Amino acid sequence: MIKARWKRGIGAALFVAMAGGLTAGALLSSPAVADETCQSPYMAKIVGQEDFVYVWTLGVEGVGDGQDKLVTVSVNPKSSSFGKVVSSVSVGGRNEAHHSGFTDDRRFLWAASLDTNKIFVFDVHSNPAKPKLTKTIKDFVRKSGGVVGPHTTYALPGRMMITGLSNNKDHGGRTALVEYTNDGKYVSTHWMPTDQNLHGAKKTGKYADGYGYDVRALPRLNVMITSSFTGWSNYMMDFGKMLGDKEAMKRFGNTMVVWDLHTRKPKEVLDVPGAPLEVRCAWNPNHNYCFTTTALTSKIWLVYMDEKNKWHAKAVADIGDPSKVPLPVDISISSDDSHLWVNTFMDGNTRLFDVSDPFHPKMVFEKQIGSQVNMVSSSWDGKRLYFTTSLLSNWDKKGKADEQFFKAYDWDGRQLKEQFAIDFMKAKLGRPHQMRFGAYSLYAEKAPNSQTTLADRR
Amino acid sequence: MCAHTIMAIRSKKWLCATLLFALALADPVIVLAAPGDYRGGYDTPDYRTQSEDLLMRKGSAADLLGAVRNPPLGLPQVPIPANNPISATKIKLGRKLFFDRRLSLNNTMSCAMCHIPEQGFTNNEINTAVGIEGRTVRRNTPTSYNVAYLKRLFWDGRETTLEHQIWAPLLSHQEMGNPSPGAVIEKIRALPDYRGLFQAAFEGRGVSMETLGMALASYERTLVSADSPFDRWYYGKQDKAISVSAKRGFELFTGAAGCSACHKIGTASALFTDNAMHNTGVGYARTMQTMPATRKVTLAPGISVDVPTTIINSVGDARLADLGLSEVTQKPTDRWKYRTPSLRNVALTAPYMHDGSMASLGEVVEFYNQGGFFNESIDSRIHPLALTKSQRADLVAFLMTLTGSNVATLVDDAFAAPVGDWREGDPEWAHSAVRNGLGRHEEDTQ
Repeated sequence: MIKARWKRGIGAALFVAMAGGLTAGALLSSPAVADETCQSPYMAKIVGQEDFVYVWTLGVEGVGDGQDKLVTVSVNPKSSSFGKVVSSVSVGGRNEAHHSGFTDDRRFLWAASLDTNKIFVFDVHSNPAKPKLTKTIKDFVRKSGGVVGPHTTYALPGRMMITGLSNNKDHGGRTALVEYTNDGKYVSTHWMPTDQNLHGAKKTGKYADGYGYDVRALPRLNVMITSSFTGWSNYMMDFGKMLGDKEAMKRFGNTMVVWDLHTRKPKEVLDVPGAPLEVRCAWNPNHNYCFTTTALTSKIWLVYMDEKNKWHAKAVADIGDPSKVPLPVDISISSDDSHLWVNTFMDGNTRLFDVSDPFHPKMVFEKQIGSQVNMVSSSWDGKRLYFTTSLLSNWDKKGKADEQFFKAYDWDGRQLKEQFAIDFMKAKLGRPHQMRFGAYSLYAEKAPNSQTTLADRR
Repeated sequence: MCAHTIMAIRSKKWLCATLLFALALADPVIVLAAPGDYRGGYDTPDYRTQSEDLLMRKGSAADLLGAVRNPPLGLPQVPIPANNPISATKIKLGRKLFFDRRLSLNNTMSCAMCHIPEQGFTNNEINTAVGIEGRTVRRNTPTSYNVAYLKRLFWDGRETTLEHQIWAPLLSHQEMGNPSPGAVIEKIRALPDYRGLFQAAFEGRGVSMETLGMALASYERTLVSADSPFDRWYYGKQDKAISVSAKRGFELFTGAAGCSACHKIGTASALFTDNAMHNTGVGYARTMQTMPATRKVTLAPGISVDVPTTIINSVGDARLADLGLSEVTQKPTDRWKYRTPSLRNVALTAPYMHDGSMASLGEVVEFYNQGGFFNESIDSRIHPLALTKSQRADLVAFLMTLTGSNVATLVDDAFAAPVGDWREGDPEWAHSAVRNGLGRHEEDTQ
C-alpha cells in the first residue's frame, strides 16, 4: 500500500516538474530535488513561479469578523492581482490557526488549529485562486485518544501525519503523532516515548519528555524526525505571563525523536534542550542530516547520522545573543542545502546562515523585517521569500509593536528587496501565520488573463 | 487498573519520581499519584525526566458514596444540604460533568483541565490558571480536595455553596466562556450521551441551572481526603505515624509559629482552615510592588538568564490588580484579604498562595517567618517569627504529614472517568443548540 502510493507520489512530482518547465531527465539528475523548500518529499512541487501564497490566519476578537481564515495572496508578478488578497475563507470561531500542509497529491490543504483541535481541509486544486473549505475534522481529540493541539500536517503517501502538542488530561506537553488518510479517516495514534513507556525507543541522554512539535521524513533513510515544544497551558498563555511563571518555564520540550518511517515506531530519543521547533532536512541524497533551532536557548542544532548509521544531535551555532532570548522561530533551508534562513521573533530579524559546512554555520546576512516576525517561506529557486508576523495569538507583541503583515521580498544573493506588503490588521483579516504556495502549473492549468481581488468584489 | 496496581508500578519503575514525593513526606511512605510530567530539579543540569505515559493513565471507579458518608479519620461528617441529598447517581453524573470539556464554549475546558487529579486537583504546572482561548486568570487554581467543608468559595470568598459556585467559571469570559446559562443547559440537553441522566439522578427533573450545580456539587463533595500520617498520630494515637521532626513542627504550628490560629485543628477533627479571610501581604505585594529591572527566566534544564522586564512586558499584557475580598464587599479594609486554604494534602498542591507565587512549602514558611509582607491592613496575627533553620524544616516536615491515605484511590477513580470531547452528533456550538431549542419551542407553541 505504502509502496504503491509512493510510486504515485513520484509520478506526481515528475508531472509537476515537467509542467513547471524542467525535463524529467533534469529532475532525476538533480541532486537537489527540492520543494519550496520545506515540504514533504512525497509531494508534488512548484519548481517555477508560484501564483499564490495561502496564509493561515488567526482571527482577532473585534477585528473584522474575528474568525480564523485562509487568506490567498496573489504573488505572481505577471498577474493583474499581484500583491493583492484574492480570496479569504472564514472557518468559524477562533481556533488558534497555526500550521497547514498539503496532501501528497497537493490537491487539498489541511489547516490545523492548536486550541479547538479542528482541522480544516481546503480544496486548492479546483481553483487555486479560491480555496474552498470542503471538510472540517472536529473529533480529532476523541478519535486520537486524547491528543490536543494538532500542529504539523505532513504528507506521507496517501496519509497525513499530524503532530500533536498537548493532551486532554492535563493540557501539558505529553502528546502523540496522529495519522489520517488523505480523505480524512483516522488511522492510528503513535504516542511519543516517555520514561514509563519508551515504546521500544532508546533514551540516549537525560530526557524522554514525550513532547511533540514538528515532523519531517527522510524516506531514503526510512526515518522520521520529530521535535518538541510545549503544552496547551503554555502556548495558549499570555507570553509575558508565562515568562514570569517559573513553573510554566519548566514545561518545555528538550528532545527530538528519530522514528522508523515505515513502522512508525520511535527508535531513539535525542537530547536537544531548549524547545527544538521546526525541522528542516537536507535534500542532497548524500546529506544525512536535518536542522532545527531551539526557541529558548537560541541555537542551531544539527541532527545527523554518522557513518555507522547512528543518529546524533549537536549544537552547531548561536543565533544572535542567546542571553537576550531572541527566540528563533521559523527556518527555511535552501534547495541546495547551502543556506538556512532563521527568523527571530523578538527583534523581528531574519538571518541567513551559510550551512555548507553543517557543523559550522556562519551568519552571512541579517535584516530586520519588522517589529516582530515569525514565518519565512522560500521559493524553490531561493529567489523569493515571504514573511509573516504572528507567532501565537497570546505570544505576539502588545501595543504598537504588534504589527501584523505579509511581506514579499526578492533575494538576489546579497540583499532582500521588498516587493509588497499587506497590513493584515488594516485589512481586518487578523494575524497571518503559516504560508503555503499554490500554482496553476500544479494542475496543468494556465493562469487566467485577469484575476479578481477581494477588494474588487467588495 | 486499580490503585494498588498504580502503586505497584510506581514502586518499581517509578521509584525516582515517587521517592521524591515520598522523601518529601519524610515520614511513613505513602506512594502518591504524582504529576505525569514531573520536573523536580529542572533548574539544575542534573535534571532527568521521569515522564509517565498517558496510555497507562487508567483507573477504576471507587465507592465515592461510601467515602462521603464515612469520611476518613480526621474529618468531620460531610455537610450535605437538605435540598441536595447525596446519591450514587448524582455523584456519577457530577463526575461525568467535571471531566467534560464540552462544558466550555469551544469544547476545550472542563473543570478537570484546571483541577487535575494527579496534580492535587489543582495545576502544579502554572502559577495562575489559563482559561478559554488562553485568557489570563489572575489566581492560582485552588484544590478541590475537601471543598465540601468550605463555607466560602473562591480565593475572594464570593460564593457560599458548591451548588452555585460552578456557574461562575461556566459563564466567565476568562474561564469557560459560555455566553449564558441557557446556552449551557441547551447544549447539555442536546448531547446524546446525557440523555436521561439528569432525569435518573433528580427524580425526573432534567438539566437546569439548579440540577447542574447539584450534580457537580455532589461529585465535589466526595473528594474528602484525610487519614493522613498526622491524623493517625494525633487522632489515631499511633505514636510512630509521624517523625520526631514533624512532631516538633506540630508544636511550632500550634505554638510559637501561630499557624493554627487560622489553620484550625480541632479535638476530634481538623479542617486546617478557619473559613475566614485574611491579609497576609501576598496580595498587596502582587498588586502594589513594582517589578525589578530584570527577572530570572529558565530556558532549559540548568540554564537560566536574567531577562529585562521591558522585554517581558513587550509580549505580555499588564498584570491585573487583585484586591481580594474588597472586590466583593467594596470595603477598603477588606483589600488583599483571601480565604484561608485548608492545608490537607498541601504537599500535593504547589505552587502556593492565591497567586501561585511560591513554589515550595519552604518558601511559604520563610515568608511567614519574615512576618509576611507588611501593609497597612495586614492581619494582626502576622509578625516576624524568628524561627531557626531547623525549626523551619520541622514545620515543613509537619506539613508533609497532611497527605491523605485515600489520594491514590480518588485519583484512580478520576482516571476512570470519561473525558468528554466532541463527537459526531454533538452540537458544535452552544448557540446552535439554543437555536435548535428555540426552534422546537416555537414549533410547539404554534
